[in-house]
Amino acid sequence: MLRLENVRFRYSGSDTTYDFSMQVAAGEITCISGRSGSGKSTLLDLIAGFLKPVDGSLTWRDINFTQLPPDKRPVTTVFQQHNLFEHRDAIDNVVVGINPKIPKKGRDAELAESVLASVGLQDFIHTRVNLLSGGQQQRVAIARAILRDSGVILLDEPFSALDQQTRADMLHLVRTLATEKARAVIMVTHDLRDCEAIADSHYEIEHGQLHKRVV
Amino acid sequence: MAAVFVLLAATLLYQLASHPDSLTLSLGPRFARTLYWTTVQATISTALSILVGTLLAWALSYRTRFAGRGVYIALLSSAMVLPTLVIALGIVTVLGRSGWINEALQWLEFSPFEPFIFGLSGIVLAHVYFNASYVARTLLGRFESIPVEQRKLTRSLGLNAWQRFKMIELPSVSGTLPGVSITIFLLCFTSFSIVLMLGGSPKYNTLEVSIYEAIKLDFDLGRALGLALTQLSICAVLIILASRLRKDNRLISAPTANRYQLKDPVMLTGIQYIVIVLFGLIFLLPLTAVVIDGMSASFIKLAGDKNFLLALSTSLVIALLSTVLVLFSSVLIAIAYATLATQQRLANNRISQPLLKLLRFSSTLYLAVPSLVLGLGFFLLARGVGGAQILWAVIALLTSNVLMVLPFAIAALAPAMVKCANRYDKLAFSLGLKRWNRWRLIESSLVKPELIYIASLAFCLSLGDLGVIALFGNQDFITLPWLLFQKMGSYRTDEAAGIALIMLAITLAVFLLLPRLFAGKLIKTEKAHHAKA
Repeated sequence: MLRLENVRFRYSGSDTTYDFSMQVAAGEITCISGRSGSGKSTLLDLIAGFLKPVDGSLTWRDINFTQLPPDKRPVTTVFQQHNLFEHRDAIDNVVVGINPKIPKKGRDAELAESVLASVGLQDFIHTRVNLLSGGQQQRVAIARAILRDSGVILLDEPFSALDQQTRADMLHLVRTLATEKARAVIMVTHDLRDCEAIADSHYEIEHGQLHKRVV
Repeated sequence: MAAVFVLLAATLLYQLASHPDSLTLSLGPRFARTLYWTTVQATISTALSILVGTLLAWALSYRTRFAGRGVYIALLSSAMVLPTLVIALGIVTVLGRSGWINEALQWLEFSPFEPFIFGLSGIVLAHVYFNASYVARTLLGRFESIPVEQRKLTRSLGLNAWQRFKMIELPSVSGTLPGVSITIFLLCFTSFSIVLMLGGSPKYNTLEVSIYEAIKLDFDLGRALGLALTQLSICAVLIILASRLRKDNRLISAPTANRYQLKDPVMLTGIQYIVIVLFGLIFLLPLTAVVIDGMSASFIKLAGDKNFLLALSTSLVIALLSTVLVLFSSVLIAIAYATLATQQRLANNRISQPLLKLLRFSSTLYLAVPSLVLGLGFFLLARGVGGAQILWAVIALLTSNVLMVLPFAIAALAPAMVKCANRYDKLAFSLGLKRWNRWRLIESSLVKPELIYIASLAFCLSLGDLGVIALFGNQDFITLPWLLFQKMGSYRTDEAAGIALIMLAITLAVFLLLPRLFAGKLIKTEKAHHAKA
């Protein structure tokens, strides 16, 4: 279970104080919506460790990770864009998730290959990612998230630029990932149809706080 | 510009035909030695400039919040317009035999070091001073444009500083570095005033200085001609190479706001601050030396010096005329550029691509035709055609100044004009706006910041250049850099320090304050419009 308990944050020079409390169980998908500038990305940055809360705690399976740096947290983020190193091929982009030395052979490389195959990219393992379509690129990012084996996956509007069919395929992939690998998924989206399609719970950010909505 | 180039090339070739033995004579062992040292110093200078500049840009891109960062970066930008002679004088004041460092060492009862600023090391040091700042300013923009998601991604993947550099920072500048390297190599290869002042012995002469000496000291026009044509050929090859190496970069987005200063290990942060402080000290010391030495100069005596007043007024008039000419020609070229590059206009036309390439090449002509070669062309034209020497001198100086600034002016203006065309072309066509109205109603206001930048750049570079004037300067036609060079040569250090300070003050005031003044005015006008609305 991922728990946020009164995680408070305030940007210097701003009047708004964010105060987030929520919980997401393993295998569950939670959607976050809200108006532009309401604090959706701030929430993800706080969980991922790019911003440091002034107060409150973040725990995963009852272990507090509030003070840990981003790479030591049980968290993987998939952004809307710029998820990949465009000058590298698909396998490099996946294997870097578990080994920054990017080995070309050995166990890590084999694992990366099998994960890429599991998301349907077995024919594109050695293709430079800038030659892949938008949907395929997001599959590579998700493959890396699968390989990293982090308990929490943050999706920051990752499918908003994709066409309807690819989007549906990607949502299905996320659902499978959450259920089969028992990941807690938090997905920021502007599109309530995405919420309806896969979310187990839905929060809306208003005035710096999370409000639970009925799915 | 192409016409000027063809005319000068024709003049040089015609003269070469009249002196058929000049090329053979110039290509002797002396020439080989000159070419060897020119290449060696340019290679070392380029390598060190790239290394230091990249390191500084990297450190600045990570340290996004510290007091005075804005001023620091503004000063880095100003390095390209600082008069080379003035900075060379500052470097001598700091590192010379009885310079600041040696005085400090003596005060601390250490033995003073042997000065190393005259010769190869001095030339390289001065080149790195100017060019590392240019590299840092250019690459910092690229580093700052790395999408914030990529920075977050590398952190969350636990990549260390070197791995991050390989994965996101190096790719973001890989398209820029080859072009920047060749530009710097060309600038060092054709370096004139720095080598003239810090060379120390003829051993380290560049081809450019050899041309100057062949004309001014030996009056050996044949040798000068041979050297000029050789230099012209080498530079032209490098320019073509540079234009082929220019690439677009995909890993670039709009510069991100300084919202994130992601936490790094203390040692890495320390290294970054050391790099910033160390380079800042190296950069500021010569400037401070010029200011302190200049303060003790007798400005009343200078104000009564006819030569100084003539040099000051000539420099200001030439700089102003050059600015107007640069603005006019860069706007015309940028309009042509936008016309050839924009989808709605001629971008798909068969001849537009070769024309665009030609335009790009012609705008970097100055780098292929260094000022001394250009000056030699005009010098020979003046001898052949006749007429008042001073008129030829003015034409040569203005042409040299315009060609010197145009590559930078077009690099700033052309993308802005293309962006403007992409945004407003359809609207302008549908409203039937013709060229003048389009410029008046749309483009002139949208590219105003670029025009202000170009004006200040043109003014400062024209004010401080010691190139063509070294060939044409005499008692009747004298500019501030030429006067400064003469005063330094005759060891009138007090007057030289005063002139150096005045040049530095004018340059910094125009380059740093003028754009801010206009920017402030623009913001005020916009606010007034909003208030009215």
